[in-house]
This record gives sequence, C-alpha cells and structure tokens, in this order.
Amino acid sequence: MAEDSIYSELKKEGMSRRGFLKFCGLVAGAMSFTMLPPIEGLTDVRGVQSPVKHGTIEMVAKALQTKQRLPVIWMEFQDCAGCTEALTRSKSPTLVDLVLNKITVEYHETLTAAAGFQTEEAKLAAMQKYAGQYILVVEGSVTDLDDGIYCTIGGKSSMELLREAAAGAAAIVATGNCAAFGGLPRAKPNPTGALGVYEVIKDKPVVNIPGCPAIPEVFTSVLAQFLVFGTLPELDALHRPKNFYGTAIHDRCLRRPFYDAGKFALSFDDEGAKKGYCLYKLGCKGPTTYNSCATLKWSGGLSFPIQSGHPCLGCSEPNFWDGGGFYQGQSAPISKPTGTVAAAAVAAGVAIAAGVGMANVAQKKAAHSADKEEEE
Amino acid sequence: MKTISNIAMNTFVKETGGYVAAQLEACTRCGMCADACHFYVATGNPEYAPVWKIDLLKRAYEQRFTLSGKVKLALGVDKPVTDEDIQKFSKIVYEACTMCNKCSMVCPMGLQLGPLIHEVRTSMSNAGVVPDDLMKAVNKQVEEGSPLGVTDDVYDDRIEWVADEWEVDIPVDVKGADTLVVFSSIEVMKFPENIAAIAKILNTAGEKWTLSTAGREVVNFGFYEGSEERTKMFMQRIFDAAKELGVKKIVVTECGHAYDALRWTSYNMMEVPAGIEITHIVGLIGEYVRSGKIKLKAGAFDNGVITFHDACKIQRRGGHIKEPREILKILAPNSFKEMSPSKEQAICCGGGGGVIAIKEADPVRYAAFELKIDQMKAVGADAVVMSCSNCRLQFTDCVQHFNLDVKVKGLSQMVADALEER
Amino acid sequence: MNWTAVLEFARGPFFKVALLVFIAGMAYRIARIIMLGWKKDRVPPRGSKVEGAAISFLKGILIWPFIPWVKDTFKRNPIIYIAGGLFHLGLFVVLILGTAHMLVWKSLLGFGWATLPLPIVDWLAAVAIVAMIVLFIHRLTNPVMRLISGWPEWLNLLFVFLPMVTGYMMTHHLFFRYEVLFSLHMLSVNVMLIWIPISRISHFVFYFFSKAIHGADFGKRSVSP
Ligand code: HEM
Ligand code: SF4
Ligand code: SF4
Ligand code: SF4
Repeated sequence: MAEDSIYSELKKEGMSRRGFLKFCGLVAGAMSFTMLPPIEGLTDVRGVQSPVKHGTIEMVAKALQTKQRLPVIWMEFQDCAGCTEALTRSKSPTLVDLVLNKITVEYHETLTAAAGFQTEEAKLAAMQKYAGQYILVVEGSVTDLDDGIYCTIGGKSSMELLREAAAGAAAIVATGNCAAFGGLPRAKPNPTGALGVYEVIKDKPVVNIPGCPAIPEVFTSVLAQFLVFGTLPELDALHRPKNFYGTAIHDRCLRRPFYDAGKFALSFDDEGAKKGYCLYKLGCKGPTTYNSCATLKWSGGLSFPIQSGHPCLGCSEPNFWDGGGFYQGQSAPISKPTGTVAAAAVAAGVAIAAGVGMANVAQKKAAHSADKEEEE
Repeated sequence: MKTISNIAMNTFVKETGGYVAAQLEACTRCGMCADACHFYVATGNPEYAPVWKIDLLKRAYEQRFTLSGKVKLALGVDKPVTDEDIQKFSKIVYEACTMCNKCSMVCPMGLQLGPLIHEVRTSMSNAGVVPDDLMKAVNKQVEEGSPLGVTDDVYDDRIEWVADEWEVDIPVDVKGADTLVVFSSIEVMKFPENIAAIAKILNTAGEKWTLSTAGREVVNFGFYEGSEERTKMFMQRIFDAAKELGVKKIVVTECGHAYDALRWTSYNMMEVPAGIEITHIVGLIGEYVRSGKIKLKAGAFDNGVITFHDACKIQRRGGHIKEPREILKILAPNSFKEMSPSKEQAICCGGGGGVIAIKEADPVRYAAFELKIDQMKAVGADAVVMSCSNCRLQFTDCVQHFNLDVKVKGLSQMVADALEER
Repeated sequence: MNWTAVLEFARGPFFKVALLVFIAGMAYRIARIIMLGWKKDRVPPRGSKVEGAAISFLKGILIWPFIPWVKDTFKRNPIIYIAGGLFHLGLFVVLILGTAHMLVWKSLLGFGWATLPLPIVDWLAAVAIVAMIVLFIHRLTNPVMRLISGWPEWLNLLFVFLPMVTGYMMTHHLFFRYEVLFSLHMLSVNVMLIWIPISRISHFVFYFFSKAIHGADFGKRSVSP
C-alpha cells in the first residue's frame, strides 16, 4: 500500500481526475505563501490573486502522481493540543484535511483512534518502516529536569521519546511556541526546565513554526513544500521560515497609521478603541513580533487579534510569557527593582558615601591640624 | 619639605565643604560663564574663562574627595596638581579676576564663581604664590596700617588738612559717638574731596559720628590676597576701634571690597562685636534721603547725560542697588540714563579685586575697561557716577589712558554738592 | 546573533542593574556632599534667603529659558543658548511626554499621564538631536570649550546622543529591524544610566543645590538673583 503514489491512493478513495487537479491546485495554493515561484491562476487563502506562472499545478500533479504519501509522526509533550485544535478546526478544512489526511500517514497521539501500548507499538512500527523518510512534528516542550519525570509517556521521558523519534526523522517541525521555544511551560520560573526542540536536537533540520497556536496555513505549507519538492523553507536565526516570519506584525498592521499619528487606545472600551486606534499603550507587542497574522489572518482570513481589538501578545517570539506584561506597553521594562531593592540600593549608596565621607572629614581635620602644627 | 602644591592642596581640602562641593558637582562645563567675564571677552584668552579659574579647586576636590577622581588619578587620566600648575593659575586668578561675580549671573547652574575663585586665591596665598605688587601692598598694610602708606601721622595730617580746606567738622576718636566711619586710603590720598563730602552729609543729617585713628583703613588687601589670617587682622583693627569708641554702627565708605569683607564675610570668619551694625555709606545716604534727614536740590545735576556705574561689591554683591538710583532720580531726573546691562547684571570696571594694584595686569585691565567704554558710548554719557573709589581709580586712570571725554564722579560728592542748607 | 535575546537582556536584567547602579550612585553622590557639612551662615541678612532661592529657581526654570535675549551674554552666543535650550526641551518632552517613555515611568512609578501626539514628540526629538550636534561642534571648535573639555565631557555627549539617535531611528524604523534598534536603544540607555552617577550628567540633581546656594547668597543681600 505504501508503495502506491498519492494519486493512486486518492483514486482508490474515489477521487476523480478533475478532483485531483483541483486538489493539486489547493496544494499549490498552500505553497503559494512560500517563496516558491508564484503560482498561476490561484487565489491564496487571503483571496489574493497570485501572480500567474505557468505549469505549477502540473508540477504539483506530477509530484503527487509519482510520490508516495508523506509519513508524519506527530508527538505531543508539554502542550495543550492547541496547535492540533487549530489545525483541525481551521476555517480552511479542505486544505488542512487534504494535507493531513490525504497526503500524509501519521501517528498522532490526540487524533489516533487507538490507545495505550497499541499506539506506542504503531508508532514504533511507523518509525521503523519509514526510517529516514518521515517528518517528525513536535507539539509541546520537552523536559529533562529531575530525570524527565515531569512529562513521561509509557514510562519514557519526553526527552528520550524525542531523541528516539528524531533519530529516524528526515526533518523535524516544531509547531507552536512550546515546541519551538518552550512556550508557556517555560514561563518563569520554568518549574519543569522546559526546552524547545531545536535546543535539544542539533543533528537534524528543525523548522520552528512558533505561534500560540501556530498558524495552520503556515504549517501545511511547510509540509506541502516538503512533499512536493522535498525541500524545507529558508529559515531565520530562530529557525522560522523566513517567508512567514520575515516582517513584524507592526509593519503590516492595519492600525499602523494611528500609531504613526500617535493615536492610541487607552483602554479596551474608550473612544480610541472604538475608532480602531493603535493598541501600543494597551501592551501591543506587534513591533517586535514576527509572524504572518497581519497578512494571512486567522479563520480563513477573517480577522486577527489586533483587528479584533486585542493587542498582539508576541506569541511567535521566544519567552513571550516573560517579555513584560501582556497589557503593559512594550517600552515598560521587563524586570525592575522592587521598592525594597531600590531602597537597598539607596542604602548601599549612602553607606559608601558614609565611608568616603568619614575619610573626607578625617582628611579635612588632618589638614587643619597640620596647619596648626606649622603655626606652633 | 612642603612644596607649594602641597600647601595649596591642603588648603583646598580645608576649604571644601558642602558649599564648595555641591557647586563643583553642579558645573556642567558648558562654558557659558566665559562670555560673562570682561577679561575673557576683552582678550579672548580661554584661560580667563571663570570655570577655568576654578579648575584647580575642582581637581583638588575630585582627587581628594571623590572615588571617581581617585580612580582617574590612579589610571593616569588626571595628573596630580603640580607646583607649575599653581604658579600658572596664580597669574590667572589674581591678574584676570576682579571677583565681580558677574559670571554667576550667567551660569545656568548658578555657581557662585566669584566666591569660589576667592577660595582658589586663599590657596595661592597660603602657598605664597601671590603677585609681588599685591603682596607688597599687603605687607605695607600689615606694617603701616595702610597699603598706600597712610600711617597715623599721615592720616592725622590729611584729615586736618581736609577739614581746613573744605571747612567741615571732622570728629576724630570721639568716644561715645554713634557711628564709626572708616575711609579707604584711596579716598584719603587720592579723593580727599570725598571725605569732605561725606563729612558734610553726616553733619547735615545730624549724625553723631567719628573717625578712628586706630581703625582708619577700611581697605582690606588681605581680602584681595585671599589670606584668611590677614583679612581677619585688618578687620580686627576696625572692630577693636569700634569697641574702644563704643559705637553702634560702622559705616564703610566708598570701597567695595572692604564692604564685602566687613559686611558679608567677617561674621563667618571671626567674632564681630555684638550690637554693631555694619553698613555702607550709600545705604546710609539712601536712608537719610528717604527719611528726609537730608534734602537734595532736585535737578542739581540735570545737564548732559549722567550714567551710573554699579560697583560689583556694593551693588551686585552688596545689595545697594536702589539707593543710588533714587538719589540720581532726584539730582538728575532727566539726564540720568542707565547703561545696559546694569544693576545686578552690570559689567565690572576691571580694576577691582586688587587687579589695579598689579602692574603686570595693566594690559588686561585696560582691555577690560573697553567694555565699559562701549557701554558709556552707547548711552552717550558725559559723566559717570559711582559709589566705589576703587572703581573710581580705575575710571580716572582709564579715562586718561584712553583720553576719554567723560567726567568721573563720586556719588557722595554729588550728594554733598546738592545738599539743601538746613 | 539573536536580537530578541539581546533585547530581553537589555530590557530585563541589564536595565534592572543599570537602574540600581543609577540609584545607588546618585544616593552616594548626594550623601557624600551632604556629609561634607555646611557651615552655619552667621551673616545678618538684608533680605530673605528663601525668597532669593525661590526667585533663583523661578528665573532659572521659567523666565530665562523663554526670554534669553534680554541677557547680554545671550547676544554673544545666541546659537549655543538656543541649542542648549532646545536640547533640554526636546529631552524633557521626549522623556516625559513621549508615549513609550511615559509607559516606562508608569511601570516604575505606578501611574501614567497623557502624552503628546507622536509627530510633535518626534519633531522635538529631531530638534534635540540637531541641537546636540550643534553643541558638539561648539565644543569641538570653541577655544574655551576645548580647554575645559576632557574625555568625560566627550563621553557625556556620546552617552546621551546614542539613546537619542537610536530612539529616533527606532521610531522611524531606519536601517535595522525594530528589535535591533530597540536593543541598541536600551543598551545605550542602560550605559547612560550607569554613566550618569559617575559623570556631570548628574547636574540635574546638583542644579537644585547650586541654584539654591546662588539664590540664598543673593537673597540675603536683597539682590535679585
Ligand atoms: C528605560 C528607558 C527607555 C526606554 C524603555 C525607551 C524606549 C523607547 C521607545 C519604545 C521608543 C519609541 C520608539 C517607537 O516609537 O517605535 C523610544 C523613543 C525614543 N527614545 Fe527612548 N527609551 C528610554 C530612555 C531614553 C532616554 C534616556 C533617551 C534620551 C537620552 C531616549 C531617547 C529617545 C528618543 C529621542 C526617541 C525617539 C522619539 C521620537 O522620535 O518620537 N530614550 N524610546
Ligand atoms: S496595534 Fe500593535 S502592531 Fe498595530 S500599529 Fe499598534 S503597536 Fe503596531
Ligand atoms: S568674578 Fe568677574 S572677573 Fe572674576 S571670573 Fe567672574 S566675571 Fe570674571
Ligand atoms: S557657566 Fe557655570 S556650569 Fe557653565 S562652565 Fe561656567 S561655571 Fe560651569
């Protein structure tokens, strides 16, 4: 069965040639957000007409006719399954469904029908069968602290499981901020010692798709590209696909003109908020957050937090939980001395001054008495 | 052996209290004070910038009192103060500063630069690097009681002569008088008419006053020098005389520096006999006029253009800004014109602070006076009045030097000439 | 290099340390001065010292900055007076009435206030930057300024200039990515905070000492300071 091409698999499921080509169009569309050659005659998820270039659908069709399904093993560690939720409840279900169900085979802890050791065995079997070919998707952070006891599955720690699964993977996709950078579990004081995947696995390509959750379209696009071309997108220093994480939210934000004019909402229900003013003062992290929310938007291009009136939380950046309060302007310091510490600093300063001051006074006295001696 | 830099630094250490330190800390080294100083403006020599004149004080403070200064010294980015430094700055602070404190009016931080420069002079004086001319005058005052050689005998002769010549009563050494009047030897030797004038005013006002032979010299060259010891010594002579005669008031005549010393400095240096008020003759005359004790002929000098030169130590540093103006508005209601700037912002004549006593300072002294010339020209002054005989000496000398067509007048003299007979 | 981490460091622990150094350093400076002690002034005054000090501040803060031309020294060097004035105006407006900075104060003090529209703040920031360049050139060329400027004076200019320029670039998204500029801004701000207590930028505190001394000295003579 595995030897069959994707096309033949789909045909078996009763897909017509016409349906197949439409499907190829969708896959091509998923990739159209990437920096691949612009794809002809397609509208992307935003409904924007992609620049036309001949032959891309054919290219996708050819790939799907020759290539086999892409094996995907999806593992969850310290997570909330939010990324999975986002994917499965995505407003572009056809696309996600097609990519996740039709072109990939998977082991997925949340979605799998099986349970207990059965699933573990299925996973091991898949890993063996597709050794060196599968994509390992990780959702959630891993931990090694205290022998990894904070996250174990079937008696194995998350770190062991990750290493085991990574060994045979062709590439790893860390979806969501937790898998990418440690996310919520890593928030101070990081009790479980949570880590991002790319901090642990150094010998395999790791693509980070941070976000809380990751944007489904971005995820599928990366998978589609790997499927069709066998390549991974170009990454930035934080292992994020440059094409989706290349510009700051702030630079594409629809409220930006208000920022430039210095017009800010001061609370969530004031005049400014009603007029759609910039949310900087309400804590927006858009200026330092790199993601595609402002362009792809969510729920099939319907809206995104800032559009809906909520400041950007910076969820695609490392340590976003500790990057200053969510509702505190970005310029506010992340850590500041408490009143007590500040008072201690004053006390320290005064103490040094007292020492120096005493020496100074003694020096003056000495100068005076030296003079007196002279006179005598 | 103690080097002069040792002694100077030691003095700086003694002088530096909160008052000095807080101001040194405040200076931003913005350089604005330079444009206030007549010596800098006249010569363009950056070393005459007021802030530079306190540079030694600042370095001493940093090196001796602050951690950062000690670190700088250890790292070699600041050098210890050397004997040469002291010598170099001695010329600057004695020859090119009149302690007029105009710079403090300009300093955005309000540094009292005049008093701070005085501290520098004190160090110089302790270290014995005072210009020769000035030191000679100081020594003369120590030995003979007056820098101009007005000994007891000379004094008696001169006063007797003034009394005869101008036909005024001049009481000398009268026990039980209310007021001790102390002249400066400049007046005694160079402007005797001033003595006559003041005597006439005091007599007309019915003041019970006296002179003292022992306390005859108000000029304080120790204060010019910056020597605490000699400043006190000269003031002590006056205070002793005042106690001896049992007066209630000491009147300083037309000498600015003496007024600064006696009125505004003595109390913090020494015991001032209790119950004695110290004032300036301008203040006293002002009081007479206000209270009607003397009456002035209105418009007595109302011709040409008359302007008033504010003496730094009597007006800006003395506080008697209003009195001369009230008087001049009576004497010359139409002719009196203010120079610009004037009052507390006035420009110094360039001769005060002992500068005029130092021969080597002549070039800068004359250069500085050119600012005054410009000011007088701007109002078209035919005559210039002042209440300080040190300024008057500078004006008379410079009027001659520059060949100017301006009359130099003493305020008391004008008042005396315009007195209504009782 | 990962700028997000740099930014986090600069806004986080480094800022905290810099602020503490600033607080301790200023406490040290002030306490050291006070420890030197003040001699009691025994001179009988002719006028009120308190009044003198009050007028001194009034003139220094509210009068001279707005009518400097009545002073004769202004006429000799108007550009420098204006540059100095505009620099301080720009600085205060940017630091107090700029939105980003108000939020810093708010976070530190617990309360905020209304701010000026960005374009106004922005223009004043530009003016302050130009003024600093003018002041720099003046320090470089004027003989008095050259004489009285040691390396600390040059560093003063530099350490205040850097936050100004990086802040301005940040607002305009010039040349670098935002978090890069933000990082540089915060790094330079922190360096400045540490530099203030060991330098003459601390004049903003001692101003109150020296102006009070000045006012009292004049007030007791009943001369307007
Ligand atoms: C804790 C201290 C500080 C923080 C957190 C901070 C943060 C910021 C932020 C977030 C901006 C706005 C950038 C934008 O609009 O995108 C800014 C602008 C600016 N900052 Fe700061 N800053 C601090 C201290 C300073 C200091 C001490 C100076 C000057 C010496 C300074 C000078 C500026 C300037 C000139 C601007 C540009 C204003 C404009 O063009 O509108 N900042 N700063
Ligand atoms: S709402 Fe946020 S992202 Fe949008 S302009 Fe304001 S600060 Fe920038
Ligand atoms: S006190 Fe007068 S003479 Fe001395 S530096 Fe200041 S302005 Fe110049
Ligand atoms: S004007 Fe004042 S602050 Fe400026 S350099 Fe002179 S003394 Fe220092």
